[in-house]
Amino acid sequence: MKLLKALAWSAVALAVIAVGYVVFFAGIEAALRWYFLAVNFTANKVPNFAHNLRLGAEITIKLTVISSVTGLFLGLFAGIARLSKNPLFRWPAQFYIWVIRGTPLLVQILFAYNALPFLLEPAWKYLQPLGVPPIQDVLTPYWAAFIALSVNVGAYNAEVIRAGIQAIAKGQWEAAMSLGMRPVQVMRYIIVPQAIKIVVPPLVNNVIALLKDSSLASVITLLELVHQGQRMISITFRPVEVYVAVAAIYLILTTVLTFFTDWLEREMARRGAAT
Amino acid sequence: MAMVEMRNVHKWFGALHVLNNINLDVEKGEVVVIIGPSGSGKSTLIRTINALEPIQKGTIVVDGLDITKSRNVDEVRKEVGMVFQSFNLFPHMTVLENITLAPRIVRKWPREKAEQIALELLERVDIADQAEKYPAQLSGGQQQRVAIARALAMQPKIMLFDEPTSALDPEMVGEVLDAMKELAKSGMTMLVVTHEMGFAREVADRVIFMDMGEIIEEGEPDQVFSHPRHERTQAFLARILH
Repeated sequence: MKLLKALAWSAVALAVIAVGYVVFFAGIEAALRWYFLAVNFTANKVPNFAHNLRLGAEITIKLTVISSVTGLFLGLFAGIARLSKNPLFRWPAQFYIWVIRGTPLLVQILFAYNALPFLLEPAWKYLQPLGVPPIQDVLTPYWAAFIALSVNVGAYNAEVIRAGIQAIAKGQWEAAMSLGMRPVQVMRYIIVPQAIKIVVPPLVNNVIALLKDSSLASVITLLELVHQGQRMISITFRPVEVYVAVAAIYLILTTVLTFFTDWLEREMARRGAAT
Repeated sequence: MAMVEMRNVHKWFGALHVLNNINLDVEKGEVVVIIGPSGSGKSTLIRTINALEPIQKGTIVVDGLDITKSRNVDEVRKEVGMVFQSFNLFPHMTVLENITLAPRIVRKWPREKAEQIALELLERVDIADQAEKYPAQLSGGQQQRVAIARALAMQPKIMLFDEPTSALDPEMVGEVLDAMKELAKSGMTMLVVTHEMGFAREVADRVIFMDMGEIIEEGEPDQVFSHPRHERTQAFLARILH
């Protein structure tokens, strides 16, 4: 019964998100059309411009969403491993966080697109008889950007999650261990559910930063928002109007995200009021 | 065979010798109360029994299992319940969830069985009507009784109490002590660190006085409280009994 209810609610939520997504981007495209006409772009080219920019915005948001989700899991594993007493877990996590936070994201994106195929090529050869496409076809700009962005945000998330876990009182560990729970169970049932409330706001900050940083993927020819804008400028030679439009779309996306997270924080505070 | 056997146990925090050659047997069904000034090592002592504190020398055998061997630690903790000074309830779970979690995920009991036992225990500590509340909605005394029920839900063979009433407002001490008395009467093996001398006198089979990491004196409550043999015991009792 409970499961059915949960399934029904998930279905409703998914439908709302899907409809919201379509409506939102249709609205963006309509607004862009109106704007480009208002600033006197060639009328018969306006639908195309608006559509391309909208496609760029969609790639930006999709890339942000899948990189955030992947980065969340990476951060969870690395953040917990970073606190492990076992050096086999702790050292790789520390190394990962150290390297990623100590190098520019731009370099990481270029590395994922240009260098990673060379590194993976030797191993990839053995997969090809299994029907796996060649590495260059797999590591498209989109997936290279996905790898770089999720690995990058994962390292920042790991530090947030580490701090969140350390913020939970030691007595919680002791009580759970004294009941015979193993460390993995303590994490799953006691520590993580409490730490989530602490780490959600900074994690969402990371997502907002990621949304903006995804613009760096324009250097590997990914047709996200900025790159679409640059292509438009090369046709129209009107950087002012185009960059204003691009910046406005980022602003709208981050504002929507901020509204969502404010709501999430309020909701969690409300539900957590009892605790 | 004793429920707990501590032999030549030593523990250091850095240079501080917090447990100095502890030898202690607790028999099945026995209620042992440990008293002593703060910093005497009494809390540390009971925390070594379920390996919340490691020891550097000696052996501790609980119900036949040597707890200094790490493979025994989980097994021993299932059989040893512990109640803390600061309750340490899980704030994100209801009272019922607090109590049923470990039986479900450690003992692998089905939810129905765990909940039924939890409700019986809540009845026993006299707060059956609070099952759906969150810890923060309860008074300190109620929280500590939930903590007792949570430990009992694992059906332990021995219960450790680490100053269970020290964080409570005075008017709530009685209800927690009553729950502990009832538990002692039911035959539970108990090891209690407390400053409640009335409880020690009434319930304990044996009182142990600790100072500076050593067991200075032990005996029946009457003997320890009325005719303490050691001068440090006399000095301590003179200070707290006025």
